[in-house]
Amino acid sequence: MSSLTPGSGFRPALTGALILSVVLVAIGVLVELYGQRYQIRMVYAAYVNLLVVLGLQVFMGNANITNLSHSAFMGIGAYVAAICVTPVKIKAISLPDAPWGLNTFALDPISSAVIAVVITALLALLVGLIITRLTGIGATIVSLAILVIVHSIFLHYTDIFKGKQAFFGIPRVFTLNSILVVTVIAVFVARLFRESRWGVQLRASADDEVGARAMGVDVFRVRLVAWVTGSIFLATAGICYAYFLGTISARPFYFTHVFLTVAMLILGGMRTVTGAVLGTVLISFGLEGIRFLETGPDVAGIKLPEMLGLSGIALGVIIVATMALRPSGIMGNTEVEQLFRRRRT
Amino acid sequence: MLELTHLKVFHGPIEAVHGISITVQRGQCVSLLGPNGAGKTSTISAIAGIADYQGSIRFQGADLAAISVEDRQRAGIALAPEGRRIFSNLTVKENLLIGAATRHDRRAVRSDINHWFESFPVLGERRDQSAGTLSGGEQQMLTIARALMSKPQILLLDEPSLGLAPLICQQVFRLIKELKSSGMTILLVEQNVRDALDLADYVYLLNSGHISNEGDHNVFGNDANLMAELTGIH
Repeated sequence: MSSLTPGSGFRPALTGALILSVVLVAIGVLVELYGQRYQIRMVYAAYVNLLVVLGLQVFMGNANITNLSHSAFMGIGAYVAAICVTPVKIKAISLPDAPWGLNTFALDPISSAVIAVVITALLALLVGLIITRLTGIGATIVSLAILVIVHSIFLHYTDIFKGKQAFFGIPRVFTLNSILVVTVIAVFVARLFRESRWGVQLRASADDEVGARAMGVDVFRVRLVAWVTGSIFLATAGICYAYFLGTISARPFYFTHVFLTVAMLILGGMRTVTGAVLGTVLISFGLEGIRFLETGPDVAGIKLPEMLGLSGIALGVIIVATMALRPSGIMGNTEVEQLFRRRRT
Repeated sequence: MLELTHLKVFHGPIEAVHGISITVQRGQCVSLLGPNGAGKTSTISAIAGIADYQGSIRFQGADLAAISVEDRQRAGIALAPEGRRIFSNLTVKENLLIGAATRHDRRAVRSDINHWFESFPVLGERRDQSAGTLSGGEQQMLTIARALMSKPQILLLDEPSLGLAPLICQQVFRLIKELKSSGMTILLVEQNVRDALDLADYVYLLNSGHISNEGDHNVFGNDANLMAELTGIH
């Protein structure tokens, strides 16, 4: 399809994605070789969040429309995959009253993942028909409403989602290596989308919607394409999350996660894929340091006080400081390969 | 080719243009002249589909009333808007690509982009630079080139000399003259009266949303009173 053909920089985009992938794989391999179990889990969680932030970048970053519903779509992906893949014997215990025969079958992990992605994308398509016609505060409020609706369904339809209880027994089929492969693919897809005709048209509409329409850009269509594409990233993140932990609940797919991932995108710079990666890496690893401080550790012989809640405060400060000092984030409009090109020239 | 009949243009509840009628023949350059607030940009915006209007706009015989902004571009109407309105966060090359948003002949699009980079080497040198970093004259060149990337039947040029240094203005008008010579149909909104009259085959003078005069450019050039009305020099 012509819309997937390169826009401005097909080759630079591949170079940039390759550079980012090398860094991500290097971190993963180092942790795999030398890290402890806790550190492997931490890096895995960071890469799941990276998938979410990349999904956010595809729509929110390119269209400049704030989306706060992303964690809900991640949750939908996770739950659908969990329902499909969990063995019947376990579902007989955990979901005894599930409707529509949901507890009478179990599929393999790949089929379950495909079904989860398709269902999430279809739901996103329905929501997208509304949200892509809105801009500014209207779009933000609708996305927030979707987050609340989906969370309420997770909490109150206990026959399917188990409410506040854990949905357990999901086969743990993913390792750090699995998510490395998925993340690298996601980086390439996000970058190629940004430089595709759709991506360029979407970014033009973010600059000047009326101007883009006057150039013949079908703004609603390109937004819808980006919205649904982003939802596929989010569903994938949910599946990776469920397939690694083996247990999910509604809580991780709500406000705290929304706030965390939006902070990651804002810090790095929402207009670029490099910004999404940088923001995720900085906040994921930075928060580990802050969580260490929260516990009141001994530092150089000095016993620090317990500072519970410091990580939440830090996230808020990051968002406020970035918006005040550098609203376009650390990377602004610059992708990683452009840094190298500038140095050469 | 383009026919406006009893056109009224609205900005919210305010009627900015009060029932004007204008005709542009194929291959003609028609100028809309007049002071600030005369309704020139409103008229051109209505043709492009970005302003509400009543009355009729017919392009190549078809009524545009139910035609969306995007489809007007597909039909062959290209707008180079006032104040350039380039996409400042996109590169120069990406701006040109947006101009070709309705085209699917990829190779020809690439070749046209290269053509513009050869025609305006300064744009070629800055192809990967954010368009927002270009000078005013360069941005105007980019705006016109971007509008032409759609291979339009008619080019709507809104104040192309606005805010440009005299030397750059000359370059811009030279480019418009070349376009006219190549057979492009042009509707030009301009305050730079002498250059606009020099280019135009036919002129409409707008005042407070009404057409106060119209005619061949020679008529305007030879009428001292009209020239005084247009230029403000008595």
